[in-house]
Amino acid sequence: MTSLTLFRPGKSGLHRLHPLTKLSISGFCLIASITLPDPWMVAGLYFFLMVPLAAWGGMARRFLIACVQFIGPFMLSLFPIQGFFGRGTTILFEIGRFSLKQEGLLLAADYTVRILAGLGAAMLLMFVTRPDHLMQALSERGFPRSLGYIVVTTLQILPRFQEKTQMILNAQRARGLETEGHLLHRARRLLPLVGPLIMGSIIDIDERAIALEARLFNHPGPKTSLHPLVDSRAQRITRSTLSGLIVLLVLWRLLGWLSP
Amino acid sequence: MIRLAGVTYRYPRTEHPALQDIDLQVSAGEFVGLIGANGSGKSSLCLALSGFIPHFYKGRLEGEIEVAGHPVRETPLGTMAGAVGLVFQNPFNQISGARFTVREEVAFGLENMGVPPPEMASRVDTALAQTGLRDQAGHSPYALSGGQQQRLAIASVVVLRPRLFVLDEPTSQLDPVGTREVYAALRALVSEGGHTVVCATHKLEWLASFADRIVLLREGKMIADDHPRRVLTRPDLRSLGIAPTRYTAAALEAQRQGFRENRGGELPVTLDQAAAFFDGNQD
Amino acid sequence: MDKLKQEFTTLTLVLIPVAVAINLAVGQLVIALKLPLYLDSIGTVLVAALVGPWSGALTGVISSVIWTATGWFPQAIAWVGVAAVIGILAAAFKQGGWLDGPVKAGASGLITGIVAAFLSAPIAAYVFGGVTGTGTDVLVAAFSGTFGLDILGANMAQGVVSDPIDKLVTFLIVWALLRSLPVRLQARFSGEE
Repeated sequence: MTSLTLFRPGKSGLHRLHPLTKLSISGFCLIASITLPDPWMVAGLYFFLMVPLAAWGGMARRFLIACVQFIGPFMLSLFPIQGFFGRGTTILFEIGRFSLKQEGLLLAADYTVRILAGLGAAMLLMFVTRPDHLMQALSERGFPRSLGYIVVTTLQILPRFQEKTQMILNAQRARGLETEGHLLHRARRLLPLVGPLIMGSIIDIDERAIALEARLFNHPGPKTSLHPLVDSRAQRITRSTLSGLIVLLVLWRLLGWLSP
Repeated sequence: MIRLAGVTYRYPRTEHPALQDIDLQVSAGEFVGLIGANGSGKSSLCLALSGFIPHFYKGRLEGEIEVAGHPVRETPLGTMAGAVGLVFQNPFNQISGARFTVREEVAFGLENMGVPPPEMASRVDTALAQTGLRDQAGHSPYALSGGQQQRLAIASVVVLRPRLFVLDEPTSQLDPVGTREVYAALRALVSEGGHTVVCATHKLEWLASFADRIVLLREGKMIADDHPRRVLTRPDLRSLGIAPTRYTAAALEAQRQGFRENRGGELPVTLDQAAAFFDGNQD
Repeated sequence: MDKLKQEFTTLTLVLIPVAVAINLAVGQLVIALKLPLYLDSIGTVLVAALVGPWSGALTGVISSVIWTATGWFPQAIAWVGVAAVIGILAAAFKQGGWLDGPVKAGASGLITGIVAAFLSAPIAAYVFGGVTGTGTDVLVAAFSGTFGLDILGANMAQGVVSDPIDKLVTFLIVWALLRSLPVRLQARFSGEE
């Protein structure tokens, strides 16, 4: 399966879990990263729950590298911006009329660890879950099939679009036009190329709609699956527990914000 | 199996009818070829047989259409699609996009019908074998060649066991290799027997070998509905925008150059007939 | 819910993946060409104009989900609401006839961009501590430093500089596309079929 998402096939126990179980685990980590009051707790969540989960999935290294790749730019911006321009009074040192404040740095660190755990949770889910299986699981639970269809189809046709935009990019590069010239010129050159790309892709969508009808997409009645998803009682219990925990965390935090 | 009576159809916002006063009857098990110049109404007729006219394209439809026991006007598209399998020109547009592998793509229609998994698996395997796609079962549909994608479209339709197959120029967008592959698959299917097929195509040689009869269209009207040899040897074929078969052309050329006399027999449209013609034995 | 069903036909269903792909592919192209635009909502606006607000919003939402799911821009999911709003606004403008001419279309884009900026800034400020992890952060720093704006203010300022122009261009592109659509497709989408 050509993978556009982060998904990489694997034989681990984590991979073999039902998609909704993986979704609940991810959801729990995401909510926890937002609601847990202490950033050290969030750090603990990341290092003692999420990284071991990634290891169980046989992709600890890939996961950590991906996390570094996205948190790096954040940190690069966060620390200076919060440090120099955020609120605070404890000045660490000064550059000209700008002062680096300790409170800003601490806030930046708080944000960093929460973003790391939150987005990391989303990425962890995508690393070990096949998108079509996730959509299948959601459809079985009442999610509209149309949504699942849209997501999976987009993932499949996107590479073709990327090929076409890559051709446009290469053509621009070949003429040395890629980064040369006034911004307005570059934008103006781009537009007549993008137009036909878009037009060409819309022009025969009625055929695609006919093909979908011909596949009985709108046939009434219950649907079946060539490959039913594997579930277990233990996983169902885990999911319910995690859902309960999510609700508790959210309520707890809401109460914390509401009370003076 | 098929009954059209006085069918006239206009697309929305168009005055000129795409189909004019069509009367057609097809019995179960027949193979009917559909020929005509571009714009003669072949595609519109295919869409009418599968219910997309009038349910998808709306427009104005007069007359009656009954296909596979369903009155098309009153039958919802979902039901029509189960009874009539439609394959059209563009192989890429017929990939649903909903499934990541060829096998799952073929199973997609059955999943939508609610067929139980074990039965699904065996029907899918049969369809893959019939279209020669067994080796590609685990590949992405988007990684296939044009000919393979078109065979996938056929497999996806065959697996639904429709009562009628309608094919609208299935090879016109394929290269010669793809064309050969698709016609081999269709030939295998047809020789199985028992299928009712309507096939619009420019590949007249193929129709000459396989069709029980050929319907000729011009500007939405039915000009002829007859045995292949009689239709394909009509003298007015070229003026209708259709090139005769190479066998007919060769025979005509031979007559023109005086190698064969015009003894009033029928011109050939297949290889066998051409051989007989040039041997000097008239059919 | 019925309105959604009315809006949502099989044609819509096959249009949306194409629109999402357009959003992502053109968005990536613009990044590669280092243009100071996003151009990641062309598909959203197009669907909103052709079909309606819910489908437009859905296009925006799914685009955000896929930016995240592919790992190309994981933070995208945080702005999913803004993506939906762009779709809703575009449909409203289309309904009001504001996409019929280039000047009106451009103005609609400008307004949409300003709204988007105002909605995006708090998300950047409060969810991500004032940054997006992209090149626009430099602008945010510049605004903070030069004008002494607080984090939220600097994000607003950055947004108000980039978003309206981006959406103006986007709406103009969609206006041009709508005009060049073949008659049969225009008929289908305007509900005549």
